[in-house]
Amino acid sequence: MLIEPSFIHEQLSMTDLEFNICVDDYSDGVYRFILKISKNKEDARDIVQTAFEKLWVNREKVETLKAKSYLFTVAYHLMIDQLRKESKIIMTDSFDENANAITQGSSELKQLLLEAINNLNPTQKSLILLKDYEGYSYQEIGEIMQLSESQVKVYLHRARLILKNKLTHLEKMSA
Amino acid sequence: MINENNYETYFMSYIDNELIATERAAVEAFVLNEAKYAAAMAVFEKAKLHAPNVEMEDKIFLYRFPEMQASLDSDFKKSLYRKEAPVCKIIFTPNLMRASFAIAAILIFFVGIQLFKTETIIKDKTALAITNNASTNSKQTENTILPDNAPEASVNKNNNSSAVLNSLPFNKKLNTTKVKSVISAHAAFEDQTIASNNMNTNIVASTEGLSQDSRKNESQIRSNLMETMPIEEEKTISVIPTTYKEIDTEEEDRTINIGIIEIDGAAFRGITRKFSALLKRNKIEKEK
Repeated sequence: MLIEPSFIHEQLSMTDLEFNICVDDYSDGVYRFILKISKNKEDARDIVQTAFEKLWVNREKVETLKAKSYLFTVAYHLMIDQLRKESKIIMTDSFDENANAITQGSSELKQLLLEAINNLNPTQKSLILLKDYEGYSYQEIGEIMQLSESQVKVYLHRARLILKNKLTHLEKMSA
Repeated sequence: MINENNYETYFMSYIDNELIATERAAVEAFVLNEAKYAAAMAVFEKAKLHAPNVEMEDKIFLYRFPEMQASLDSDFKKSLYRKEAPVCKIIFTPNLMRASFAIAAILIFFVGIQLFKTETIIKDKTALAITNNASTNSKQTENTILPDNAPEASVNKNNNSSAVLNSLPFNKKLNTTKVKSVISAHAAFEDQTIASNNMNTNIVASTEGLSQDSRKNESQIRSNLMETMPIEEEKTISVIPTTYKEIDTEEEDRTINIGIIEIDGAAFRGITRKFSALLKRNKIEKEK
């Protein structure tokens, strides 16, 4: 069930130009965020397109500065609905990140991180992605994921501890 | 204040950029004092993800252009619709079908009667039609019967289907049973007609119209009759009185249709019963 974000204001409207700027600035981020979790390109494209459709329909109510949060909120909930429908809590569709991703440090570390992230649940994965990829604050993540700021902080710290422990364990195993 | 118990929380908040400037400075000082905390901070730093460069392939479809908002006028749309003629639906109800079949059956019955109705009127009361089931053709029989004492006998070959016979004094040698039957029929039903099953043998004779030529051919005709009608094959002739209508024999394309219609009441009821049962069954299935 998609909950409309609270930052919709009726007095502001988005022009065609502003909308196209939003497409330029945010479409890749939303697509990357969804693709990282769903690991399905077609699903990610559909979700991104639906999110921008919703933004276009509600362009008179959404403030331009809040468009990014609106897009991520809509995309996140669409993705959750999609995962619930398909019961894809454990992603099986492979996604070759090497084709598009920029290596961070060494490929071995990257591989270890991917394995560690894949073991996280969708909420923790979303928290990590929104924080690390998009740089959202706890408050913004809470608005997107319908969580309180303290919840975001706790869940995110748990996810980071899991990643740290997993990474430490894998490094010891590889050493 | 950061210490050994809460340093992980501070480290994660530091990585997430959720600390204020004083707290960040405190964390950096805490890491510099102890090497093991610096190693822990490095692990947290490694666990932090870096955004890959991922581009959406079909981004062009997300853009909005003013042309995309153009819409057609409703009147113009309506003008494009194809105007269809009103469709008349015929509803076949069981009662309508029964009535239709009944009307069709009655029409077929009356048309059949009209088609197969044969009626002949005797123009003259002396006309007779004699039939037999022999294989003699009309020409042969026409030449076989000639009166003995008739002054003139006119045999009109063109009008060989109609006959007027006033007297029939035939030769006993030639006309045995057949002639007798004809005479008796003539006497009994002088004003009536005689129907025949085979129309090939219509005999025409007239005592008043007999010509001298026909008398000359008398012997020849008698011999022909002997050949065509042997005594052994003669049969009793059933003479049925009927009425005849004068037929124009000069018409070349004339055709005569003979037919009989027999309707078995029981079989007809059976057919109608089966048909009604079929209709009723279909109706029940539709209702189900």
